[in-house]
Amino acid sequence: MKETYSSFYRAHKDKLFGYLIRLSGDYQLACDIMQESFTRFLERYAGKPLNPSLLYTIARNAVLDDVRKRTQRKDYRELIDDQPPDLEKQMLIREDYRNVLAAMQQLEKTERDILALTVSSNMTYREIAAVAGISEANVKVKVHRARIRLKKILKMEKNDE
Amino acid sequence: MNEIISMYIDDEMTLDDKIAFIEKIRADIFFSDETMGLLQQEKLIRSEVVERLPVLDTGPRFDWKKFFKPFFQPMGIVASALAALIVLLLIYTPHPAPGLITERFVIFKPDVSQVEITGTFTDWKRIPMNKIDDSGYWEIYLNLTQGEQRFVYILDNRYSFADPTMPARERDDFGGENSIFYAAQRI
Repeated sequence: MKETYSSFYRAHKDKLFGYLIRLSGDYQLACDIMQESFTRFLERYAGKPLNPSLLYTIARNAVLDDVRKRTQRKDYRELIDDQPPDLEKQMLIREDYRNVLAAMQQLEKTERDILALTVSSNMTYREIAAVAGISEANVKVKVHRARIRLKKILKMEKNDE
Repeated sequence: MNEIISMYIDDEMTLDDKIAFIEKIRADIFFSDETMGLLQQEKLIRSEVVERLPVLDTGPRFDWKKFFKPFFQPMGIVASALAALIVLLLIYTPHPAPGLITERFVIFKPDVSQVEITGTFTDWKRIPMNKIDDSGYWEIYLNLTQGEQRFVYILDNRYSFADPTMPARERDDFGGENSIFYAAQRI
C-alpha cells in the first residue's frame, strides 16, 4: 500500500513530538515546531517518497535555529510563556515524566540530541548519524554516554528528595 | 565505556556482538547489573511524554430530512400523534425533577499555582479550582448527575494528575489515567 501523507503524519506525529520535547524540554516550542516541520516537509517534498529522516532533520534544524535566535536577542518567549497553548490543546505532559525531562535538560547538548533521536524515532544508528551529521561510531559512543550520565543525574535527584 | 549495552538496547548488534555480550553478562556481575539498570531506565525514558484528554466526538452531522421522513407516512402520522400525546401527558403530570448531587473535590498540591478539574460532568471542559488560603489544598463543589463519572486534575495548565485518593482508574488511549467514581446521593 502506498503511504499517504496523512498516514505518514499519524505514524510520526507522536514520535516527532516526543523527540522535540525531549530535545528542548519546552512544551510550547515542541508544539510549534512539530506543526511547522510537517508543513515544511509537505511544501518542499510533496510527491517524493516519504522519508522520516528528512522530517527529523527539518525538525532538528528548526530547534537549533530557535536556540540560535534566542541567544542573539532577548527572549521573546518570556512574554508569551504564561499564555495557554493554542495548538494541540489536549496534550499534557505526564506528571511522572517531568523529572525525566528535567534530567535530560542537564545533559550536554549533543548527547541530549542523540539520545532524544534514538529513543523517540525508530531510526538506526546509521540514519541518526546522517541526521545529526556525525559518524555512526560517534552515535554509538554518545548515546551510551548520555544514558550513563542520565542515570547519575536521576540517582542524584532521588537522593536529594 | 560499555557501548555494547546501548547497542543491545537499540537493536544494533551483529551476531558476533551478541556472542560477546552474552559472555560478558555471564562473566561480569557488575556488567549485568549495569545492563539491567539501563534497561529499567530506558523503559522510563521511552514511556509516554504526554497524555491527552479525550477529544469530544462530533460524529456525523444530524440529518433532519431523514429523521422526519417516516413521520409523513400514514402510520407515521398516527404514531407521532400518539407519541406527542404521551409526551404532553408526561409534561403535565407532576413528578420530582431528577436530583443533582453536590460533590466536593479536594486535592493537596502546595507547589503549583493553578489547579483545574475536567471530566465527564464538565463535558471535559476545564474548571478552575479554588485555593484554600495557604493550606496547599484546592477545592471545588460541583453538581453532578447520578452515575459513573470520570475526571482528572490539571496542574499549572499542563500536567494531568489522577486523584490519588481514588483507587478506580482507567487508562485512556494515550497512556494517561483518569479517576473513576460512582456519584450517588448520600444518606
